[in-house]
Amino acid sequence: MYDIAPTHAIGLYAGLIALPLAILALRRSRNHRKQPGTVQIACVLMAVTGVVHLALIPHHLASDPLTSVLFLFNGVAFLTLAVAVRWRWWRLSSAALLVATILGYLFYVDFRLEGPDQVGLATKVIELAALGMVLVPVPNEKPLRDRPWYWALLASGLPALILVSGAGVWIEALAHPDPRHVHAGATLQSTNVVPTSGQQDAAATLYEQTAAAIVPYEDWHQAWAAGYRPAGSTDMPSTHWFNKAYEKGPVLDPHHPQGLVYANTHHGPVLLGAMFQMQRIGAFGPDPGGPLTAWHQHENICFTLIGLEFSLMTPYSTCPLGAIDVTAPAMLHVWIVDNPKGGPFAVDIDPSVVAAIDRT
Amino acid sequence: MNASSRPEAAFVILLMQATFWFLAGASALPFVLGGEVYMLLLAAFSFALAGFTVWSGMEVVWRRGWARRAVLVLEWICLMGSLLMLVLPIGANRGPVSLLVNVALPIAVILLLHGKAMRDQFGIRRSVTG
Repeated sequence: MYDIAPTHAIGLYAGLIALPLAILALRRSRNHRKQPGTVQIACVLMAVTGVVHLALIPHHLASDPLTSVLFLFNGVAFLTLAVAVRWRWWRLSSAALLVATILGYLFYVDFRLEGPDQVGLATKVIELAALGMVLVPVPNEKPLRDRPWYWALLASGLPALILVSGAGVWIEALAHPDPRHVHAGATLQSTNVVPTSGQQDAAATLYEQTAAAIVPYEDWHQAWAAGYRPAGSTDMPSTHWFNKAYEKGPVLDPHHPQGLVYANTHHGPVLLGAMFQMQRIGAFGPDPGGPLTAWHQHENICFTLIGLEFSLMTPYSTCPLGAIDVTAPAMLHVWIVDNPKGGPFAVDIDPSVVAAIDRT
Repeated sequence: MNASSRPEAAFVILLMQATFWFLAGASALPFVLGGEVYMLLLAAFSFALAGFTVWSGMEVVWRRGWARRAVLVLEWICLMGSLLMLVLPIGANRGPVSLLVNVALPIAVILLLHGKAMRDQFGIRRSVTG
């Protein structure tokens, strides 16, 4: 959702090239210059999205001819409407095509015919803006009797379409993350697929050494004395504790993990495991166990200093007011409690495990 | 561009921005259920901002001078904040959607509402129904 699909990059470039050309063409067109500014903007935006659709055809032609035909129809229709601005049914046709295209994309994403990516979502933002410009009535525009209907359509339809498309894309991205995204916001390090026997041994060694090294921290007072401090709310099921002294290294040293993870139980913090973390964003750490010990990086998370809490960025790249979009440096967990769903190096601890510890 | 329809174009963008902020506020609510209680506060902030944006957008359509000034201040704050996030080494998203929503939309509203023609237009109250 936050990446650009390689086959879609061409659409982005084509759209960027189309934008100044569309503005230039509009400035030279007497028909367009006579139209209200909102209509002119809609024409430019429809020309851009039309070119994006046409540019995507070659990459889809062999693998998905039906989609290519739809792209061709969309591209030609958008470009035609961008030109035929004096057509009597221009407004109705443009609105219908834009709504159909946005809902069509949602259909494709939700039925997993295509994964949501930045080019697709950016095109939807452009189409949503174009739809708003098509619908909004301007002063001295005829016919007057239709104006309240257009205002009502705009005020209800545009927000509804944004919410439906945003929620639809998000639900799909959360429910079916791609192989490198364990869940929304966590990108896995690229590794070989099947671990070698050497990697299995190295992973086992790392686990044994780490588990043995953090035994003293089962008493959270010992962790506190060593410099570990909670990095977030202790009202959550679990909390990461960080040691600032190890922020700059060493890397993947079982005796000096950058963090510890505690379950916040009714009888105090219970140690769940250790967490190794890199210093810089974008750098994955050494990976002795191959796919067994792949690091992960939390991207596009919304972080707020108010309570040190996190949420996830929306598909339209916004965070709640008071939170900022950040990426955490790559990390690797070592869970010393049984984590049946993901294993000892999983990105997340199974919530049912934490709940069970709290009940004991 | 014909100056007479620029406030309406700004309204469309403001309505989009308000909906994006509403969605961001709603996205914080599941985390409140997970125990992140302060996210409720952030969700409330986001809903309030979305409401204010729609309201001021409507007032822009009605050519109220205060609304134009308030929207310009809001958009400049959004733009500066977004640019700061992009410059700081915190790993903020720099994808096309982020650039469109957080940079291009505020710039578009600022361009639509700035200038003498707009100041003059906002000095005279007009009926939205033409």
